Amino acid sequence: MAVGQKTIRVVIGKVGCDIHERGALILARAFRDAGMEVIYLGRYQTAEAVAKTAVDEDASVIALSDHTGSMRYIAKETVDALKKFGGSDIPVIAGGLIPKKDLPYLEKLGVTGNYGPGTPLETVVNHIREVTEIDWPKGEVPG
Amino acid sequence: MAGKAEEKNNCEVVYDRSLGGMVRDETQGFIPLKVFYTPEDIRDVEYNRDLSDPGCFPFTRGIYPQMYRDRLWIKSFIVSYSTPEETNEAFKEYLASGQTGLRLLADLPIQTGLDPDHPSSWNAMLCGGISSYALETYERMLDGLPLENVDYELAHMGMSSFLSFYSYLVAMMENRGLDISTLRGASINDPFRSKIVYGCPDFPTEIDRRICLDLIEFSVRNTPKWKAYAPNGVDPEQSGMTAVQEAAHVLAVATAVYTDMINERKISLDEIGPTVFSMDAESDFFETLCMFRATRRMWAKIAKEKLGAKTARAQSLRIGIRTSGLSLQTQKPLNNAARVSLQILSCVLGGVNSLDASAIDEAIGLPSKEARLFNLDTQHIITHEANVPLVADPLGGSYYVEWLTNKIEEEANQILRTIEENGGMWACLESGWLRQQIDSSRTRVQTEINEGKRLIVGVNAFQGEEGPINKAIENCAYRVPSKKLRLKTIADIRRLRAARDPNRVDATIVELYNATKEGRNIVRATIEAAKAGVTVGETVGVIRMAYGYGYDPLNQIGAPVFIKNLLGGN
Repeated sequence: MAVGQKTIRVVIGKVGCDIHERGALILARAFRDAGMEVIYLGRYQTAEAVAKTAVDEDASVIALSDHTGSMRYIAKETVDALKKFGGSDIPVIAGGLIPKKDLPYLEKLGVTGNYGPGTPLETVVNHIREVTEIDWPKGEVPG
Repeated sequence: MAGKAEEKNNCEVVYDRSLGGMVRDETQGFIPLKVFYTPEDIRDVEYNRDLSDPGCFPFTRGIYPQMYRDRLWIKSFIVSYSTPEETNEAFKEYLASGQTGLRLLADLPIQTGLDPDHPSSWNAMLCGGISSYALETYERMLDGLPLENVDYELAHMGMSSFLSFYSYLVAMMENRGLDISTLRGASINDPFRSKIVYGCPDFPTEIDRRICLDLIEFSVRNTPKWKAYAPNGVDPEQSGMTAVQEAAHVLAVATAVYTDMINERKISLDEIGPTVFSMDAESDFFETLCMFRATRRMWAKIAKEKLGAKTARAQSLRIGIRTSGLSLQTQKPLNNAARVSLQILSCVLGGVNSLDASAIDEAIGLPSKEARLFNLDTQHIITHEANVPLVADPLGGSYYVEWLTNKIEEEANQILRTIEENGGMWACLESGWLRQQIDSSRTRVQTEINEGKRLIVGVNAFQGEEGPINKAIENCAYRVPSKKLRLKTIADIRRLRAARDPNRVDATIVELYNATKEGRNIVRATIEAAKAGVTVGETVGVIRMAYGYGYDPLNQIGAPVFIKNLLGGN
């Protein structure tokens, strides 16, 4: 069964010590309002825990949130952990305060969206619908 | 969408007469407003009872008789870059530019109570501040700066930070042979904020509450010019509360902690002196300044009638401000200069006592130095060119301002009654009621933004194009620290641990453990441990172990072998 035909299940991940939670909470609600299932693990998570949850819960997509400027590290760890747990087919999207210079790196890693503050919620919701309908390719990026 | 003229083919622009018209008839915090106010709206106001002159109960118009003529507000802001050396250099530059308070912060792992070599530290290490894992980092950060008679402020999130960094300041003074009673400044030290805003995992609430009281008690006895407790409304409001909710929240938090202080530690409000609240300055100009006026008046009454404060000093409320970081936008960041300037002006008109203004590039990254200096200059311009602070409470007596001040007090009192009905603040924290208040307001705001009932310039209205000035601001924000710098920090803490005197470390750790376990005040033990080079993560772990919890707040690592050997357990 194609992923797009069942209810979209989103794991929202905040990895490390970033405390800025407002964006993650607002998106969690927007995703639910759009008919998606949301698993939000809260703050202070490890990338491995986020990836493992996504695999165990058969998630359609992982949405990473970070406001410390460290998304490149968090995304790489998450993608690596997904590989480790056999979840490389799960697309990863990201948002928060992401330095512009990190965008090419994230795209190459296969992490899409990479939205900043003020992005209309429907843009993010539509993006999730898009990435969960296709087999999103992930490029190899050296550490 | 409002603010965007509809474009037809061939560049023919349809003229929209309503472009730029008002879309709201309520304040930012949902208070409905009339078109104008009259004497009828404030006919119950009695000058002596409700307003009174500045410096007189209930301090609605300000807490000092001469207000800003005698003492301007303290100009401070958080300065914390990735390294102690960089932060030190910035402090010196800002002090030379007229900054009068040094607001200290640390990176996020340290504020969570984790040392830099903890597995969860890597991602956020050196982000938002220095990794102040031990006393030696403070010595480097404050090298060549005076410790006496400068206002230091601690603005961290976890209660472990307030304990550790107050201890570092005292330890530095003692090591330099200075009189610690000259230490000045304030510490947020608010156990409610640590939990409802940050969910900070360093300690459970029972330990948070004890540390808060220990710090107030130690400070009253040893550093009387230090305000060891500054209950915080800034971050709850930034997380979603309205102005009215913020006022009620911060008043309830202060009442809860001081009630415990009076009952358990037998320290009166008169011994503590003026109370400091850290409050938020949001974009709604009049609502913000009326919130300050209402909160001062409400605190004066609570302090006098509920907490038994006899002196005017103990009934008066100092308000320290952090302007809203949430109001700042990444789109067209030059507009943030207008937002911050208006917020600063509402603070000054509202009679606040210290001001930490957000920087215009703060939504993009850590503030750059030039953006910080712009903050200071804005305050200098308001003072010296606009002459705003010459007259105290210049809007006092305005029909609208007095009505709105009364309205905020009335609605905040309603919330205070609900808190009482729900068993008081500690019960409201544990039950999740406080968190629900934040969540429901935040959702309401977000719904209004989505529906275009709340316009944010450059974001959901008046988007426009960014030109070279905006682009330059985007390129100036401070960059996140490199991998190399993070690795160096881990090497530094390992080097420190290896270089310490093990006997002194062991002795101070055992004393900290025993003091915690036996219910003695733990501040002195923390100071001595700091002098021995004990780290933040170790301090947190030892205190947790004394309560029977595991060493690591995140349960990812065990206690170091030497601590296991000293104390037993995990």
